[in-house]
Amino acid sequence: MTALLALESTLESNGLPYAIPIHPNLVHLTLGLFIVAIAFDIVAALYPLEKPIFKFLAIPVTSAGLYDVGWFNMVAAAIVTFFTVAAGFYEIILAQPPQDMISPWGLNATDTMVWHGVGGVLLLALIVGMTVWRGFQRYLWREDRARQVEWSYLLAGLFIFVLMFAQGTLGAHLGGDFGVHVTADRLIRAGLDPNDLSASTRLSKAVNAPPIEGSRDIGPEGS
Amino acid sequence: MFENLLPALNNHNLPYPDTIHPIVVHFVIAMVLFGVVCDAIGYFTKNTRLFEVGWWNMVFATISIFIAIIFGQVEAGLATPYAAAASDLNLHTLLGWSLSAILAAITGWRYIIRLKSPDSLPTTYLGFNFALTALVLFQVYLGDKLVWVYGLHTEAVVEAARGGLLQ
Repeated sequence: MTALLALESTLESNGLPYAIPIHPNLVHLTLGLFIVAIAFDIVAALYPLEKPIFKFLAIPVTSAGLYDVGWFNMVAAAIVTFFTVAAGFYEIILAQPPQDMISPWGLNATDTMVWHGVGGVLLLALIVGMTVWRGFQRYLWREDRARQVEWSYLLAGLFIFVLMFAQGTLGAHLGGDFGVHVTADRLIRAGLDPNDLSASTRLSKAVNAPPIEGSRDIGPEGS
Repeated sequence: MFENLLPALNNHNLPYPDTIHPIVVHFVIAMVLFGVVCDAIGYFTKNTRLFEVGWWNMVFATISIFIAIIFGQVEAGLATPYAAAASDLNLHTLLGWSLSAILAAITGWRYIIRLKSPDSLPTTYLGFNFALTALVLFQVYLGDKLVWVYGLHTEAVVEAARGGLLQ
């Protein structure tokens, strides 16, 4: 508890001990790497159909090179996503979302965070599973085949895109609607002006101040 | 005159549910950073297979950055930036357009390298990769500020701006 208080005493006005959230930045890497990995495996699997296009563009292409992108990007996605999920949970723990509103999907902030957290763990498991599956296909099961991936693997990848879209929309609700860890939103909700340079300092002071227990000395009499 | 042809703006001041630019930039940020990492590992381990991975990631990043700019301009135009946010939005716009030219030039250079000597990378190219990485990271920092510090297109900021409370 003392350690937690010591940590909280350094929070910025976005409710985090640093000025910019880390999780949304790692999300760029998870999504970019995973989606491009599946996309290149699809392009590689359909390579016979695309030959004339690449020839027209004067780009020399080997399907082995395209499959390399599918494999190495997927491995990188799996590694990075552990950190994406870890940073996400850390920032969920420090979230102080408004309790008086619901998202476009009809969820309150706590439910949105729970679903986003569950979705994150599920997607991490799926990405790691896909990487293992991809590795077996590449090095054992289909090592000597022209097409390195099964169609079912590509279909599973497309299905995961749908889950990622839902997960991303929940994340967008947390940032864009509830304003979780958004400095300006927290200032506005505290009645302060984001244009006022001293507002951030005043809010972080208020956030870091020890809670006052006992009766209030402001507000209506007798309450 | 065209106002009636466009969908109504929602509570994020957008004609569609959520911002699209931050989604498209996944494919610029992740692909540039991973492409550079692949090039560097390939250069030091002499694993030429990774050069192919680096090249294709750069191609994907180059296509994506132009799409990112189109959505970026639309969403910047609808952002109602208030005084504190304006200069960072201007710099993000300027650097975004510049990065499209820089990234396209580096990928074009890479195309020629890949045709002429696919099994090696000039050290100068790695230097350009490094500079590109620094610019991309700074651009990400600016974009992060626009979303997470200034809250552009978030419900609270749009509401305050529409109420005339934030200028």
